[in-house]
Amino acid sequence: MSQFIIRRVLYSVVTLFILSGTIFLIVRLTGDPVALMTEASARPEDLERIRHQWGLDRSWPVQYVTFMQNALQGELGKSFNYRLPVSELYFQRLPNSLTLGLAATLISLLIGIPAGIISAVKVNSAWDNVAKGIALLGLSIPGFWLGLVLILIFSVWLRWLPTSGSGDWRHVVMPALALGWYFAASMLRLTRSSMLEVLGSEYIKLARLKGLPDFVVVAMHAFKNALIPVFTLAGVNMVVMVNAAVIIEVIFAWPGIGRLLYEGIFQRDFPLVQGVVVMAGFMIVGINLVVDVLYAFIDPRIRLTR
Amino acid sequence: MKRPRFQAHIVFKLTTLGLFLLVAAATVLPFSSAGAAAKGKLTLAWHAGFASRWLDPQEHDGTATPDNFFTAIHDALIKNQGTQLYDHLALAEHFAVAADAKSATFTLRKGVKFHNGDPVTPQDVKFSYENYRGAKADVFKKKTERVDIVDDRTIKFVFKEPFLDFAILFGTANVAGPGWVVPEKYYKQVGGDAFKQKPIGAGPFKLVRQEPGVKVEMEAFDAYYRPVSVKQLVMVSVPEAATRVAMLERGEADIVYNVPGELINKVGKLPGVTLAPVLSGSFFIEFPGFQDPKNPFHDKRVREAVSLAVDRRGMNQAETAGMGKPTGNWINNDVQYAIEWPEFPRNVEKAKQLLKEAGYPNGFDVDWVTPLPTFYSRGERLIAQLREVGIRGRLQTMERGIFLQRLQGGIKEFPGTQIILHGVRIAGSWSFWYEGYFKCGGFSSRDRICVKDLDGKFDQYERSINPAERKKLAEEIQRGILENYYLVPVFRHAFVNAIGPRVALQKWQDIFPTITTGYAYPWEDIKVKDQ
Repeated sequence: MSQFIIRRVLYSVVTLFILSGTIFLIVRLTGDPVALMTEASARPEDLERIRHQWGLDRSWPVQYVTFMQNALQGELGKSFNYRLPVSELYFQRLPNSLTLGLAATLISLLIGIPAGIISAVKVNSAWDNVAKGIALLGLSIPGFWLGLVLILIFSVWLRWLPTSGSGDWRHVVMPALALGWYFAASMLRLTRSSMLEVLGSEYIKLARLKGLPDFVVVAMHAFKNALIPVFTLAGVNMVVMVNAAVIIEVIFAWPGIGRLLYEGIFQRDFPLVQGVVVMAGFMIVGINLVVDVLYAFIDPRIRLTR
Repeated sequence: MKRPRFQAHIVFKLTTLGLFLLVAAATVLPFSSAGAAAKGKLTLAWHAGFASRWLDPQEHDGTATPDNFFTAIHDALIKNQGTQLYDHLALAEHFAVAADAKSATFTLRKGVKFHNGDPVTPQDVKFSYENYRGAKADVFKKKTERVDIVDDRTIKFVFKEPFLDFAILFGTANVAGPGWVVPEKYYKQVGGDAFKQKPIGAGPFKLVRQEPGVKVEMEAFDAYYRPVSVKQLVMVSVPEAATRVAMLERGEADIVYNVPGELINKVGKLPGVTLAPVLSGSFFIEFPGFQDPKNPFHDKRVREAVSLAVDRRGMNQAETAGMGKPTGNWINNDVQYAIEWPEFPRNVEKAKQLLKEAGYPNGFDVDWVTPLPTFYSRGERLIAQLREVGIRGRLQTMERGIFLQRLQGGIKEFPGTQIILHGVRIAGSWSFWYEGYFKCGGFSSRDRICVKDLDGKFDQYERSINPAERKKLAEEIQRGILENYYLVPVFRHAFVNAIGPRVALQKWQDIFPTITTGYAYPWEDIKVKDQ
């Protein structure tokens, strides 16, 4: 088991190393950030001064080594635009993103799981078709469009909810719905297929043969087993929602990490983009590592096969 | 003992004196205690993210953007305001540039203070100037010999040589920032980065809270030297235009910036909402590498044909609902020495004739037409219009950072036959436009244009200390560009903003009163109705 854990930790470290190098290169391939930090009549002296100020006049390997040295000490650099440490900015925005991610996850579970179960239990019925329609809409309606429609209906017409920003619970409703809707569709599809698989298994047939009522078979026997992959997906989805809800956060002016990343990309804020991506990668790799270790702990066959 | 007699005339005199004092106090108090009279809340929905560096004049990036924040939190000795391009008296009650342009003297207003209560002193002015490290800092440093504090309200800038552009550079907020005064003691105590998070200025509003990139909350500054109308000023970053419009519709925002073309008609019909189409950047066409004799645009007739093919009015109507303005000069007319030029005509037949005379009876192919990101639809319209006269081009879209980088790369980044549709706004002087977008080696132009005789005249302009001669040269150079179609002006973009029903106004210019910036100001003058 310890060997397995060490191997998984090493894989994670290598993954993060590759990620940091990749994002470091990619942001530098997108153009000169100094061009966006000066005015149209700037002189070469202005450009050089800014490049020197931010260490952009040094070679890429030197910049990367500096970035990694700082990152290993928990420093992800200082944002060009906000003049604050990236880690500070990230953790300032994290609570907002966690709030939105949790609310959206809850919505996706509340829509996806019941609809998925009904769809599986009433397979090929009208209910199933409705659920499949919901899944199709969920996956095909763009988040930005849904967000704007929600604003139009609930803020402008009905005046029930504020259009944007953060504050009390009312601010969370629309962005969580717009974000959770897409993930509800994937949750619905997975719940449906997982339930169908479980409902077709031998032990469910046995339960039915024993004369157990349908409700008991579904709720007590099938449901619990079918939910394992669903909750695994929900966990991964939540990490994505916390770190990459870019469009929804922009539409609703939600001050989260996705919007921070958007601003960083838009303004060529290299340290900010690198920092946010590395932190998101760290979170995803960390969660996967924990899940892998837990799986191996629960099922010894996993640690032998990997 | 004699009882004191009732003396009516004394009572009358005292009453008169009392009334006089009351009236005097009522007249004076709003000016001496601005914040006390301030009421209500004004919310601005800003159209992009906030960069904290915009709150520090010491690191002014030279763009128009920080104007919006400077005019709320900070103040300058002189600044652009209303129709005054650079010489509106702000913290200075008087200023004079010596006749030989080798010095400039400023006298501070009496009793001006920073938000922390410290007085604004000549030492703060000197520090702000000498510590300034933003756009054009090298120009000020190179030309300044010393800064003398004459007395407790007077400061003198002494230059090594005549510095004719000093006042215009010093006083134009969207060019440079050394004239914007920061408190030396506080700045040194906290450092530049911390200052950007909690700036202290001498402007009409003091910072209450900042969420970096999200929101800036301010409150009226009681000791400002002018009356401040609203108590709370909140600026919220809302990148999505439709959301900003919804905020306006719902009363969550009082002013929204940058209403895009597709929403202008909708916003214009909202009850109580006023559109504010501020004339902004100039769009013009460049022919990179036209100096090469093999390039079709080497021939002046071909460049003129392009100008004749452009439907400026149609472009303006389609792109800004007609709120922009077709122009004759590629340099905005709100800068020093910009010349007025009649709008260029559209004449497709004449354009075809000119192409035929130039040896292109069937037109020719342009490798790429590259518009300023993200104005791609303008590039598409230009391509369609050029096609009418036989010039066939393809649209090249670039991300903004890449576009700017390639501009700086010079002609090698634009090989073959190419057209660039630029859009730019530069304040202050015509010379900043020339220097950035035309001169050989300029920030944007690099080696793509390089017209030697005009560059020679520009050098002469730079060296001259005779204002009349400079003006003459400026006009000659601009005429030279326009008559030869080196650059082809298209139209001035409209930066369309919207003002909600709570804001008190007679016309939109009350809120956006100036030709020198696209943003609302002076913030202290803007009122809300229900206060």
